[in-house]
Amino acid sequence: MLTLAVLLPFAAAALLAFAPVPAGASRAIAIATAALALLALVVVWAGFTPGAGFQAVTEAPWLPALGVAWRVGVDGLSLPVALMSGLLFVAAIAWPMEREVNARQYYAWFLFLEGASLGLFLTLDLLLFYVFFDLSLVGMYFLIGRWGHGEAQRAALKFFLYTLAGSLLILLAIIALVLMTDPLTFDMRELIALQPVAGMDVRAGLILLGFVIGFAIKTPLFPVHTWLPPAHVDAPGPASAILAGVLLKMGVYGLARIAMQMMRETFAAWALAIGIVALISILWGSIVAFAQENFKRRIAYTSVNHMGYAVLGIAVAGSAVTGHEAARDLALAGAVVEMVAHGLITGALFLIAGAFWARTQDYELDHYGGLAGNAPRMMAAMGLASFASLGLPGLASFVAEVQIFIGAFAIWPWLAALALLGLIVTAALFLGMLQRIFFGDRPPALDGFTDLTRTEGCILAALLALVVLIGVWPAWLLDMIAAGPALAFGGG
Amino acid sequence: MLFALSLFPALAGLAIWAWGDGSRLRLGLMAGGATVVTLLLAVLAAAQGWTGGFTWGAGLELQLALTPLSAAVALTVPAVALAVLVFAAAHDEACGLARLLGLMLVFCGAMELAVTAADLLSLLIGWEVMGFCSWALIGHLWRDDATMASGRYAFVTTRLGDLGLFLALMATWRGAGALDYAALGRLDGLPLALAAFGVLIAAGAKAGQGPFAPWLFRAMDGPSSVSALLHAATMVAAGAYLLARLHPWLASAPGWSGAVIALGLATALAGGAVAVMQGHAKKLLAASTSAQLGLMFVAVGAGYPGVAVAHQVAHAALKAPLFLSAGIAGDAAGTYRLRAMGFLRTLPWVAGLTALAALALAAVPPLGAAWSKEQITAAAGHESLWLGLAVMVAGAFSAAYAARFWWLAYGPGDVLPKARPRWSGMAALGALALACLGLGLLWLPPVQDTLPMRLPEGKPLEIAVSLTLLAVGLLAGLTLARRETAPEPRAADWLGLPALIERGIIRPFERLAALAARLDDAVLDAIPRGAATGARHVARGGRRAWGAMQADRDIFNAAVWQVAAMTRAVARRSDGAGETLCDGLPEGAARITGRSGADARRLQTGLSHHYYAIFGIGALLAILMLIFGKA
Repeated sequence: MLTLAVLLPFAAAALLAFAPVPAGASRAIAIATAALALLALVVVWAGFTPGAGFQAVTEAPWLPALGVAWRVGVDGLSLPVALMSGLLFVAAIAWPMEREVNARQYYAWFLFLEGASLGLFLTLDLLLFYVFFDLSLVGMYFLIGRWGHGEAQRAALKFFLYTLAGSLLILLAIIALVLMTDPLTFDMRELIALQPVAGMDVRAGLILLGFVIGFAIKTPLFPVHTWLPPAHVDAPGPASAILAGVLLKMGVYGLARIAMQMMRETFAAWALAIGIVALISILWGSIVAFAQENFKRRIAYTSVNHMGYAVLGIAVAGSAVTGHEAARDLALAGAVVEMVAHGLITGALFLIAGAFWARTQDYELDHYGGLAGNAPRMMAAMGLASFASLGLPGLASFVAEVQIFIGAFAIWPWLAALALLGLIVTAALFLGMLQRIFFGDRPPALDGFTDLTRTEGCILAALLALVVLIGVWPAWLLDMIAAGPALAFGGG
Repeated sequence: MLFALSLFPALAGLAIWAWGDGSRLRLGLMAGGATVVTLLLAVLAAAQGWTGGFTWGAGLELQLALTPLSAAVALTVPAVALAVLVFAAAHDEACGLARLLGLMLVFCGAMELAVTAADLLSLLIGWEVMGFCSWALIGHLWRDDATMASGRYAFVTTRLGDLGLFLALMATWRGAGALDYAALGRLDGLPLALAAFGVLIAAGAKAGQGPFAPWLFRAMDGPSSVSALLHAATMVAAGAYLLARLHPWLASAPGWSGAVIALGLATALAGGAVAVMQGHAKKLLAASTSAQLGLMFVAVGAGYPGVAVAHQVAHAALKAPLFLSAGIAGDAAGTYRLRAMGFLRTLPWVAGLTALAALALAAVPPLGAAWSKEQITAAAGHESLWLGLAVMVAGAFSAAYAARFWWLAYGPGDVLPKARPRWSGMAALGALALACLGLGLLWLPPVQDTLPMRLPEGKPLEIAVSLTLLAVGLLAGLTLARRETAPEPRAADWLGLPALIERGIIRPFERLAALAARLDDAVLDAIPRGAATGARHVARGGRRAWGAMQADRDIFNAAVWQVAAMTRAVARRSDGAGETLCDGLPEGAARITGRSGADARRLQTGLSHHYYAIFGIGALLAILMLIFGKA
């Protein structure tokens, strides 16, 4: 079933690339495929037993000599993120194209990207993980470069080069990690069980450094985040939503799955350093976002802030401080919820930013004002998403952040206390953004500004409904994650 | 079950908002009906001792429970809200009225959650949702840029205080492994101090104490009905309630009671002075709220949380009608400047009802607020003689600004009102004013005996001094009001505190953020740009080497030649392959690859060669790493 979820989008992408399908039909095919992939994931979810390790595993031999095989499976860490990704892909694909050119290729690349993204979260093979990691770069590169606006090509190239540099480090680290096993294996489950670099010298540290830098670029963490704003600003709205909602999660997921689970001891030794980087990202991301006058850039920088929370949660979970197991479980569950919440919320925010671009081709806050009258539905959607993003209780981010804070405070109290300051800056920056776009006087140029269309409204309503659901009743998601020792240290 | 008390008004409010604007009668009936049901729920909950529990997940649990203290507040909230909502339905702008009423109900729901909470997480949820409601309601007239900015100011200021609650929550979990209030009792040392002072910061921010006071002034940009709700039933009132509710567990934290008293007393005196100087009707009342909440803080710090809650209930009954009345006077005068008012002759009924509430604010016996204020004086006197005296001085300030407010707004004057109150608005005002009168029953010993709390014993001498000071305050207020001519002193704007915050915190932070943004663009982005430049140099070097090699290969190291040749070859082959594929194979299986090649070509800029160079360097590094890694 998981194999289906990965291969179906690839197959449909190939179909759209080869067959001369008209634009309307290609859109329909793309939406149907994304929905089917999501359905496959939901079916897996229906049969999922929380806290029982890797499930729905499928294996097919590929390169037995190297220990490489087609392996897919999910646990409480990957299933929520994969489900969120599947949903966000349906939303992004169903979202109206910004510039209706080459629709067939557009949808083909989107499905290609979906296959790569779901593959990354679902695979249990380290080599496939790397392959999917790089394929996702390719898909995103073309989506930004060809369907973006402004200096799209430059931004796409910067994104590609920067994250490729990171992925090279990851490749080196993967190879080094796997070479420590005998016989060679790329099986994540075995690597987690084996802990190949446990008790090793400085090389273990170097391997961890490779992973951390590589994933930090993707996440992105301070100070290697500067590829993010241009990539977001010039990308089409739906691609931005996927970039923030799905691709950034790959960094956090990789950090948790590989660095934390497969290199337990080494990660624990460096957990505080990672936590400090996360803290700087939290503060820096929010402060820099506060000063942005381009609202898409502003939203982009808040991703640095939010991913900082998620990485802080992972660092706490992996810190292996004894006597604080409950705190670490809480933080890990918080980090996973943060990934899901950030995907839904920031995905929605970037889709809304896309709706703005489609109407005005302008992201400058100063050029807006008073739109609450013309576009109440847009105001409601963006307001809800903004308050969710700044961590209002009753919405998804709060669930994540409060757990990460509680967990972090138990391990490193001063660090958690400093991280709290991020909350106040994000509140100020999101309220400022809402105020300048929707309230006050309306510039005459915006008189003809139209509200969300029915399609846009329905997509956003679906995403935001989930944000509210997680916020008011988080138990179902937290149960699915079931962050126990089994999860922190690899499926049982 | 107890969740119904907060969920019902919240959901009803959302439903009213979603239903949309309509006739005042329908909206008033719906909102009023929902509040009546909430009130009945509160009565039932208090009578039957409802509790509530909800599994949050990850081992956390939301718990609700009622104590006698919280039951009193839980009843006060919908009771006051009922009058305020009826008034709002009659008086506020028809456009957006459904949103206004709906959000007010949500506000009450959030307040009820904070009141009934029995653990810190539920409390935090209600606490922060209240912050959201205040933002939306203060900015209700959103077409005006200033109101929205004020809403943001209020939200950010109170959220700054919320961080204290976050801190308390984290410290409690670390110290006790749970979040229910009882867990606070298992804390000691640093976690207890953090929890206690964190709660104090949160309560102080919501209650407009000390440095947090200016947000209450900014909040005056909202409609008067919103101010009435905010100051009487929700939000601000929550600050004093929280301290009273958590007092049993936090009082043992060293220095905490003293800090609560200091903060409360300082605000009571400063707020009193500010209110005496203010020339803006609503801001005068706002400063007086800070001052009255300060008195409640003093009561909690002195060890009498029950007295604080009693004064809170009495204050709710008097502050709501005063704000509604200020709204009527403001509409009638077209401005909130007190000097432009004076409606004794033209609005005699309003003047009479307001007089009741103003006398209650001045704490003139036999009104209920006077009793609770004397209790606070007695409680403070138990703590120390000087504290008792200071509270009496604060009481004199209350009398002065209450008298001044009434005289300026409803004293003799010949201003013709531009607008007159509707009968339903008058009914709301009247009901609240009668409640002030009704609370006078608290003076009767049999009624006092039924109160489920410890009362301080007042000394006759204390009461005499207190009443004398009160009379002096009243006279001073009236004198000031009759001599009101000059423009208000600059200190009337919270003693210059807002300007200090603007200059000392907000602007420096904005500069810091702008600097950070510039650094981010200029310095941090230099890492990849530096890498790109480096790569360009490598590529250029390679090209030069290539040219030189054409001249004389022998003098070059073979390895260098190898690397350069490889880089070039990789570059040319990929480029060439892309071209060949899209030009030569338009059909068939290669088409997809061709498409990518075409895309790649479209995107080509001069930089792609650097990519190849980086790739080459990376490959080299990989090989080296593998060699040394194995060895």
